[in-house]
Amino acid sequence: MTQAFLIVLRLMALALLGYFAYRLWLGTRSWTTRAVAFVFTGALAWQFIAGTW
Amino acid sequence: MRGFKTLLWLEYRRSRVWAAAFLGSLAFWFWGLNQVTVRDFAERAGIRVAIVGVAAAVGLVVLCFMIGRLRGETRHGQYQVLLLTPPSGYVHVLARAVFALAAGIVYYVILGGLLWWVAARAGIHPDAGSVLQLLLAGPFYGIGSVVLPFLSWTVLLMVFSSAFRLSGPSWIPGIVMVAGTPFLFRWISEGIVNVSYRLPAWSMFGGFTRLIEAAEMDIETEVVITSQGALVPQEPLWIMLALSVVMLAIAGRIWQEVEG
Repeated sequence: MTQAFLIVLRLMALALLGYFAYRLWLGTRSWTTRAVAFVFTGALAWQFIAGTW
Repeated sequence: MRGFKTLLWLEYRRSRVWAAAFLGSLAFWFWGLNQVTVRDFAERAGIRVAIVGVAAAVGLVVLCFMIGRLRGETRHGQYQVLLLTPPSGYVHVLARAVFALAAGIVYYVILGGLLWWVAARAGIHPDAGSVLQLLLAGPFYGIGSVVLPFLSWTVLLMVFSSAFRLSGPSWIPGIVMVAGTPFLFRWISEGIVNVSYRLPAWSMFGGFTRLIEAAEMDIETEVVITSQGALVPQEPLWIMLALSVVMLAIAGRIWQEVEG
């Protein structure tokens, strides 16, 4: 039960992060800004998918 | 470096009240140190050192707020001061960092002086080398490895968020960067720990700790106590300095691309 709940939570967080990434990618024409957005979004995505704290 | 002096002057005009309040807060901390009247001298010195630590942390927060005020430069979209030639984004960021850094250096060197005062009031009179370490080496190590990275991160956060100002809410990039930073910092700090002490470590406060040990043991200073002080690794300083330069350069590049 707890495991399933955590998986659902992670999927929801990833979906939200995907929306944020979409907004960040289209919200600017600056490639440096996109690169910075990619780094931080990537760190969060990695943490959601495979991260342990 | 066209326009750097103008921007530095503009930075002074914008942030002088903040800088004055920031440096003036040292008087408050000095007053706070004087209010500690615990009888036991070790306990009294410990409380005073803790107060200086709190002052250092609060000062860092205030500096971050000062350097992060991006929109104060314009009023209704117009520069408050007419700039004849638009300076590059790098110069903007550099001027901002230099002014905040200068205020930070003054603040933290004076905090080092307050630590010296605390030591003197506790009956510990370190040698000239230790005093210099307290006033210069310690503060500059802290500024390079903690304060400057925080300031650079704040500038990058504000510039990165502001880059989305026209297209939508800037809270999305803000949230992503603030939430993602602890994970990135965790990996960076693990890397720093792995490479630390590969270069020769710096021995700091050797004479100072010798005196403290002598005072604690209630014996004469001349008795041989082979304390080396704190062995401080130099790698965190160089890595965090490099990281700060990279963050400032990225912030300058974004400024250039978005505002230029």
